[in-house]
Amino acid sequence: MKMRSGEMEKGRGEKSFYPEYVFEILLVVFLTIELVLVIAMLYPQIIGRQIDFQAEFQPRPEWYFLWLYQLVRYFPGRTAFIGTVLVPLAAVILLMLIPFIDKAAHGRVKATVILSALVTAFLIFTLIPALGR
Amino acid sequence: MSSVFNWIDSRFGIREPHKKFFQRPLPQNMNYSYCLGGIAFTLYLISAATGVLLAVYYVPSVDEAYKSVIRINEEVFLGWLVRSMHKWSANLLVVFIMLHALRVFVNGSYRPPRELNWVAGVFTFVLSMASGFTGYLLPWDQKAYWATVVGTSMAGTIPVAGTVVLYLVRGGPDVDGTTLIRFYSMHILILPLLMAVILWLHFHMVKRQGISGGM
Repeated sequence: MKMRSGEMEKGRGEKSFYPEYVFEILLVVFLTIELVLVIAMLYPQIIGRQIDFQAEFQPRPEWYFLWLYQLVRYFPGRTAFIGTVLVPLAAVILLMLIPFIDKAAHGRVKATVILSALVTAFLIFTLIPALGR
Repeated sequence: MSSVFNWIDSRFGIREPHKKFFQRPLPQNMNYSYCLGGIAFTLYLISAATGVLLAVYYVPSVDEAYKSVIRINEEVFLGWLVRSMHKWSANLLVVFIMLHALRVFVNGSYRPPRELNWVAGVFTFVLSMASGFTGYLLPWDQKAYWATVVGTSMAGTIPVAGTVVLYLVRGGPDVDGTTLIRFYSMHILILPLLMAVILWLHFHMVKRQGISGGM
């Protein structure tokens, strides 16, 4: 963990990308493929029902879109675009600006507050519909 | 073997630049949390490979889409497994991009000169969610259809330009065959191409700037 000068450049006796890390990376790649294979075999995809154009029902999106579907419910009628466009766009832009916010005074604190708020909001608005059924 | 490689290398000159890359020293305080991005990339490659296999049997048309998914699941050799792996690798991809982003944030690895790499990472996140959204419609079943009706209707709420954007996304006033083919081309052509470009930028910056030693 100690960082003495010159050590980063030379890396005397330290691990370098090849061969040490390449083999560790290959191990992780192998484990990742294994993970997907095992989960896919345990929980295979089922075939959904055929489309019924008459029977409109409340669709359930992928879990990572649940927050968006939940958000839309808070903005009825003409304010809908706040939930569908403004808030998601603002969230993405805030996320992109994190490194630049960090450079301001007390930047690390500001960046931490913003990211924590985004993560918390994501979790809350995902959990409300996820637990609601 | 090495003479074959030498013959190729004398024409492409790949040995020298890669030697530098392969032998570069890495920060000493690295741990296994530095694997999260690599895991995400592996998951992306799995979804790309299984996606190519699915495209062999999938038919993107209103009449055939649902039937072809049933065929993949029930008749094609290991088709059910390939389809399940595609779905799970895509879901895990979103999870691991989030975990990777958290690791990068905790270490403060987004600091100069790596700000743009954080921005590129946000783009890969948005692109994988867009891939998830467009891929959701392709089985053309009840859940897929109505989720897309609700999802695309959000485009219609944009002030002034709403109707135009809605038509652009759906290819008409309703979700139909035009929407399916539009989502299909987004899912298998446009989004993967964009993703490849962004990922190249992402990795190129990692190579040029080195791996951040953290705080």
